[in-house]
Amino acid sequence: MAKIHAISDLEELREKIVDDRKQFEKTIILCGGTGCKASRAQAVIDAIENELAEQGMEKRVLMRTTGCHGFCEQGSLMVIEPGNIFYCHVLPEDIHEIITKTIREGEVVERLLYTDPVSGKVIQTEAEIPFYKAQDRYLLAQNRQIDPCSIEDYIAIGGYSSIGKTLSDISQKSVIREIENSGLRGRGGGGFPTGRKWAECREAPGDEKYVICNADEGDPGAYMDRCLLEGNPHLVLEGMMIGAWAIGAQQGYVYVRNEYPLAVKHIRVAVQQARELGLLGNNILGSSFSFDVSIARGGGAFVCGESTALMASLEGKVGEPRPKDVHTVLEGLWNKPTTLNNVETWANVPSIIQNGASWFGFKGVKGSKGTKILALTGHVKNTGLVEVEMGTPIKTVVFDIGGGAANGKPIKAVQTGGPSGGCLPADKFYLPVDFDSLAEAGSMVGSGGMVVMDESTCMVDVAKYFLKFLQDESCGKCVPCRLGIDRMLEIVTKISEGRGVSEEISLLEELGATVTQTALCGLGKTAANPVLSTLTYFRDEYEKHINEKKCPAGVCHELITYMIDSEKCTYCGLCKKACPHDAITGEKKDIHAIVLDQCRKCGICRSECKFDAIQVN
Amino acid sequence: MNQYVTISVDGMSIDVPKGLSVLDAALGHGICIPHLCRVPYISDIGACRLCIVEHVKNGRSKITTSCTLIAKEGMVILSNTEKIIKLRRNIAELLVTEAPNSRAVQDVAMRCGVKEVRYSFRNSDCILCGRCVRSCTGLFGEKAIGFVGRGKDRRVESPFEIKSQLCNECGRCIDLCPMTVVPCDGPMMPGEERLCGNCESKMSFAEEIPGFCIACDLGEGFQCERRLFLGP
Ligand SMILES: Cc1cc2nc3c(=O)[nH]c(=O)nc-3n(C[C@H](O)[C@H](O)[C@H](O)COP(=O)(O)O)c2cc1C
Ligand code: SF4
Ligand code: FES
Repeated sequence: MAKIHAISDLEELREKIVDDRKQFEKTIILCGGTGCKASRAQAVIDAIENELAEQGMEKRVLMRTTGCHGFCEQGSLMVIEPGNIFYCHVLPEDIHEIITKTIREGEVVERLLYTDPVSGKVIQTEAEIPFYKAQDRYLLAQNRQIDPCSIEDYIAIGGYSSIGKTLSDISQKSVIREIENSGLRGRGGGGFPTGRKWAECREAPGDEKYVICNADEGDPGAYMDRCLLEGNPHLVLEGMMIGAWAIGAQQGYVYVRNEYPLAVKHIRVAVQQARELGLLGNNILGSSFSFDVSIARGGGAFVCGESTALMASLEGKVGEPRPKDVHTVLEGLWNKPTTLNNVETWANVPSIIQNGASWFGFKGVKGSKGTKILALTGHVKNTGLVEVEMGTPIKTVVFDIGGGAANGKPIKAVQTGGPSGGCLPADKFYLPVDFDSLAEAGSMVGSGGMVVMDESTCMVDVAKYFLKFLQDESCGKCVPCRLGIDRMLEIVTKISEGRGVSEEISLLEELGATVTQTALCGLGKTAANPVLSTLTYFRDEYEKHINEKKCPAGVCHELITYMIDSEKCTYCGLCKKACPHDAITGEKKDIHAIVLDQCRKCGICRSECKFDAIQVN
Repeated sequence: MNQYVTISVDGMSIDVPKGLSVLDAALGHGICIPHLCRVPYISDIGACRLCIVEHVKNGRSKITTSCTLIAKEGMVILSNTEKIIKLRRNIAELLVTEAPNSRAVQDVAMRCGVKEVRYSFRNSDCILCGRCVRSCTGLFGEKAIGFVGRGKDRRVESPFEIKSQLCNECGRCIDLCPMTVVPCDGPMMPGEERLCGNCESKMSFAEEIPGFCIACDLGEGFQCERRLFLGP
């Protein structure tokens, strides 16, 4: 493709692409995200290509492999337009039928349709699926419109017109004012007002400035940044270009974790394509603005997502945080003024410029504007990536989108914000998902993790899990974090093993407060949240572990015993066969019993029993 | 000519050369802010966090380490509020239970008001203050030792765990190591650890006029700046 030198060239190219696409009568949209790739999406893609060629329909049907659609557990996902027909769990052997029936004849293949687990209804179109219906998909919806490796697709839906608009008729100050007025706050966890960050960086002395996109995403279970970068890399690039122009940077970096090979590949391809078109490089679109982007791969340490550690890592040093008495907007990468934003933050920028601050501010609540992508997991029927308007109540996410409890047990809590977030009990589910409300309740939006937990979860065990994660991920530089987390874990472990004493609850609280207030970086400052929030809302569980030596959820090994309910037991012998420790006695058709001394409490017998006869006390 | 800035520490107005950290400034004026990982004349990393102070700005106070905070004109610092005293004591408690076998750590814990401990002792032989590493990399530009590992596995090592050619045996790392000063009553065996409390009598004086340097013996353990000024 020829280089673009002016905005008019870009518009011409856009028209041409749209025109060329008119020859296609139908579009098969196939999710090629990491989740669906795991469900054999690649084989499906090959099968479609073969089948289209065989039936001689390549010229009439456009196949588009896109980034993640969010509903990964139903993969591979396919949508056929026009008609919005939604097929799930598609396998290569289904392709012949799909092409012959749906594409040729317009008939629907019933067996591939989605069945709503809540109502049991079979649903034909994507738009009607409750999981999607209750969402407000603005960023994620774009994923299905584009092939991430095709800059044409992005341009066809209006891509790069925001940077065009910016360079032609908005001053740098007005861009920043627009972002400030929109109320956009950082999506990386801190929720810092993006406009203010940009303004401070713009005003910082110095000619050399940098913008960085933080795609380190180390939270376990979170993958919204991966999904955006894999599915719509040009959107992130365009956001960075606008930011760079506004603050006066000529160089940008995307710091992406190495465990995301597809994201690395797609952003690389995107940068290459943008360079070829002249959208990155010198004098972009004929303006005085020159800007380029490099990709850096991070080794995958959680702490490297922290701003100063990330910059140290980019400079080739050990990825350890440093004190932030001087902010990174003044002295960041190579000690130059630097603006670091999260992937999702950057992705929100182009549409704010395109549609205006008030358009963006229209969505959301006071203090938290726009939408937020959440990674919904745990004990709900539907899991995946969901995008909701800021201020949507937790219960809407858990029950309307998530479809409620998965295993029939009542839902008792939701953990939001990743490892440094907190747990909120079911009676707080009226709370809106926004920065301030969740922080006030002792948790946070964070990067958007949302783990739903039912009665089978022990909150002491949850606190222990997150402390263990943070202990492993702490860089170990400062005392409160390294030793504080260690001691908290020691105490919580003691409690979970029934060796706790009641004074330790207040010690945990005091220690938690100390770590929160005195740790060097954000990791330590938020590390006590899982403990403190479970102590606030589930103190009775801690007390039961300590005073009654009981784990109400039946999780903590040291405090439970497995027994066979002789009324329910049918003496089938399955459990006996399954037990790896030979702890079950009794012959077939004879009374079974568990020898407590030998039982290691692995729970295999319980999952094996078909009659629910294994009980936990 | 040196440029000076004026800052206020605990209500006292002091003039300090531009570029100095708040901790250095305070120590130079006889205000005792406990510290451990700081090394005079080498850049500080804020690792031990004993030197925390409240930095009051626009009516809000922020807790930060004074060794990494560069004094700026008009700064208001509080180093001895109830909040700071409590947090500092909790940090010192974590430190002394980790490594009781050091006079320096015992002394500084005492100075921070640790009278009893609520965790079990551990008897580590390194508290990862990083003074040795910084003296090696910072002062002499050598990199004979450095940190390896993360979190619990963090430790000081020479590259590839063999003695480095870069080491010219200057011994500065050992001089600076707080773990080389054994408690007055001699080393404690595993299982025998306790707070030695030897300096308690001196500290009672410190409690009466909190925050002011009383030229105590504590500096001996970890080379308090004041101690260096006054000589042994
Ligand atoms: C331990 C730790 C890990 C972090 N990890 C990430 C991350 O993976 N991705 C991210 O965008 N921000 C992460 N952050 C937040 C960043 O420090 C920074 O605030 C953010 O990237 C700024 O962008 P924003 O204003 O757009 O949110 C992390 C912070 C801490 C303290
Ligand atoms: S708070 Fe934790 S992760 Fe951050 S610098 Fe201190 S030890 Fe490292
Ligand atoms: S002396 Fe300041 S953190 Fe250790």
